[in-house]
Amino acid sequence: MKNKNFLTALLILIVMFAFTASANAGGKVYKLGMSLAITGPTSDAGNPYAKGTEDYFKFVNDTKILGDDTIDCTIRDDQYKTDVTKRNFEEYLDDGIVMYLNYSTGSTLGLKRDFDEEKIATLPASYHAGNLDGSNYIFLPIASYSDQLVILAEYVAKNHKGGKAKVALFVHPSAFGRGPVVDVEKAVAAGLNIELVEVVEHGKDLDNTAMLKRLMSKNVQYVISQTVQSPVATMIKDSQRLGLTASSFGEAGKLTFMGAHYTGGNDLIALAGTAAENFFWTTGFNITSVPGEGTTKQLALAKRYNRDQKAANSHNYAAGIMVAQVATEAIRRTKAAGLEINKANLYNTLNKMNGANAYNPYSTTGPVTYSKTDRMGVDMLQIYSVQNGVFRAVGEPVESEYMKKIK
Amino acid sequence: MSANSWLATGNFFTTYKQEQRTFLTSLDRSFFTLFLVLLFGWPLLFELSNKYMLVVDNILIAIVAVMGLNLVTGFAGLISIGHAAFVGIGAYTVASFCQTIGDSHIIVTHFWPVLIIFSGLVGAVFGAIVGLPALRLKHLYLAIATLSFQMIFQWTIQFMTFFNQGQTIYVGRVFWFTGKIGRKDHYLFWYFIILTIVILLGFGIRNLLKTRYGRCLVAVRDNDRAADAMGMNPGLTKVYAFALAGFFAGVAGALHAYVYRGVGFESFTLHESIGYLAMAIVGGLGTLNGSFWGPVAIKFLDLQVETLAETAGQYLPSSMNLATALKPFSFGLVIVLFLMFEPRGIANWWRIVKSYTKLWPFRY
Repeated sequence: MKNKNFLTALLILIVMFAFTASANAGGKVYKLGMSLAITGPTSDAGNPYAKGTEDYFKFVNDTKILGDDTIDCTIRDDQYKTDVTKRNFEEYLDDGIVMYLNYSTGSTLGLKRDFDEEKIATLPASYHAGNLDGSNYIFLPIASYSDQLVILAEYVAKNHKGGKAKVALFVHPSAFGRGPVVDVEKAVAAGLNIELVEVVEHGKDLDNTAMLKRLMSKNVQYVISQTVQSPVATMIKDSQRLGLTASSFGEAGKLTFMGAHYTGGNDLIALAGTAAENFFWTTGFNITSVPGEGTTKQLALAKRYNRDQKAANSHNYAAGIMVAQVATEAIRRTKAAGLEINKANLYNTLNKMNGANAYNPYSTTGPVTYSKTDRMGVDMLQIYSVQNGVFRAVGEPVESEYMKKIK
Repeated sequence: MSANSWLATGNFFTTYKQEQRTFLTSLDRSFFTLFLVLLFGWPLLFELSNKYMLVVDNILIAIVAVMGLNLVTGFAGLISIGHAAFVGIGAYTVASFCQTIGDSHIIVTHFWPVLIIFSGLVGAVFGAIVGLPALRLKHLYLAIATLSFQMIFQWTIQFMTFFNQGQTIYVGRVFWFTGKIGRKDHYLFWYFIILTIVILLGFGIRNLLKTRYGRCLVAVRDNDRAADAMGMNPGLTKVYAFALAGFFAGVAGALHAYVYRGVGFESFTLHESIGYLAMAIVGGLGTLNGSFWGPVAIKFLDLQVETLAETAGQYLPSSMNLATALKPFSFGLVIVLFLMFEPRGIANWWRIVKSYTKLWPFRY
């Protein structure tokens, strides 16, 4: 009987030891949270963005980039509603996340104070410069919309032939759209050689004939957009119908259309068809129609996790991958430094991501650099233009000159 | 009235005073008291995460707003499809203080009860102003007038720099006798506050409906010419119905501002107005308890559909974006089904359950 009891106790001890050992071998789990529009308004961008993030974190765990440690990133749909984003964020805080990935301009501005109170590093999908005002914990993945519009305006100033280029801005009626207008105006005041003729806040118009005719009557030659794809598609289709679209950059007496990150991509070509031809677009992400090492890896990742062609080739899929890459890199570096993975240490690691420590993810057109005074990741943006139905690179990635002057 | 106030199985009033009692039997009063004890007591016994506490707070705020909407649409029969704008008026009253004197000013952080009441009063003023067309307009025409108020509100907020063009205006953390309310206790604190307000306003409506002013509302709804002939003033009644609804909405808006610690335009759009109307219909127009049932049902449905859409979004082809359609589809379907099969709303189910238990074991 004694022997039987002894054997039972021994067996229990062995089982307990085995469980403890396997738990240790499993490594640590780092919790992250992401809230974005998988359904509802802007879900055409949010859906592939979520897939990019999800796939990259799966890849990190599957290929043991962090060794035995894994990342558990909960991704929740907020339907582009700040109220729901707030609820998701509260849930993540209760779960003990160490970094947060957000989406829209509205919710980033709405929760900005919460991020600071909780001292949690946040990477939004909104590149609104105003996100950074009065905030220490928001890190923009790429240069702001302001930088993007000023870069396009600089491109116009450099490449326009004959006098001062007349430019109109076509913006979304929200902080997302209006934010960069002030910076473009400041750049013009600082000497950028363009004339800002008009700023148009678009509505939900199905026809832009009157607006386009008005712009033509004011001799506008360039329309730079800061909005989403559908209003741009409507505008450029109307322009094509009216025969107002320039067949090459800056064609006299015609309109050359340009736009920031969320105006372009394959979705614009799908919406506008041939009217998208010669549309100039800037972003900080590599795109699959300009093949390279980064896009090959992006497509391989999409294939590995059975994504359809639409998602695989979306620049928003690349953007989703990029934020996951930055988060993973911050965790990897913090871990390599022998520090505990927590909110404070990840925040400090991100702030040290500059100079020789700049991070080069494969998804972007330049290195990601952050510091206590620089909260914009990728400063070098690439200009693309639609040629024969696909976006092609125009020159090398550039950084805005005038944004440095007006800051 | 039954001799035994505990075991009464029917209402046998012999005086008007008896009829006007809030609780018809002692059993009713006891159940209600027990229910209140449970409402106040459960958060102390079961800890709910901040996420769900926020959901509960949100439901309670919607209840305050829908009580107001029920007054104007349910009891007075005046269709209002701009109710979210009135809620927005309350929220932006708080936001205006924050913009003017700073979001951490003592008036915002310490005198918040005064600010909540003041927001209600501002809502009432706007309600009365918007109610003026009700003197001349009826039915669909009045609905369009309230819709135009919604549009004017949205336009004003989105284009005025004072209101940050609709972007979030921050509201500071409030203080209680115990000190500053931090994140940990924020939603629980507001739960108790909003619950107290819901109870006070609920009793307020219940009592109002027993007064001549309350009876005027119902009389004007049923036939304003007959009400006029009976010596009532239908015009004034309609205006004060809108003012009352505005007060409730204003209070709800101020509570929203404090709970979310910020005011942003997107919480007060036409879509939200339709949401409030749906809550009132599903709960039961023209009933007080319908104002409680509706928000609970619609918010609960929202949560479930959100989860379903999120799951569906991962499996359905993204090009078709079918998951996006799930929410408006289910929302519309619920309203249509209620209008078809239970136009009196959930409140009618409650009435049936109550009358059954009151008469039990007898059938009638």
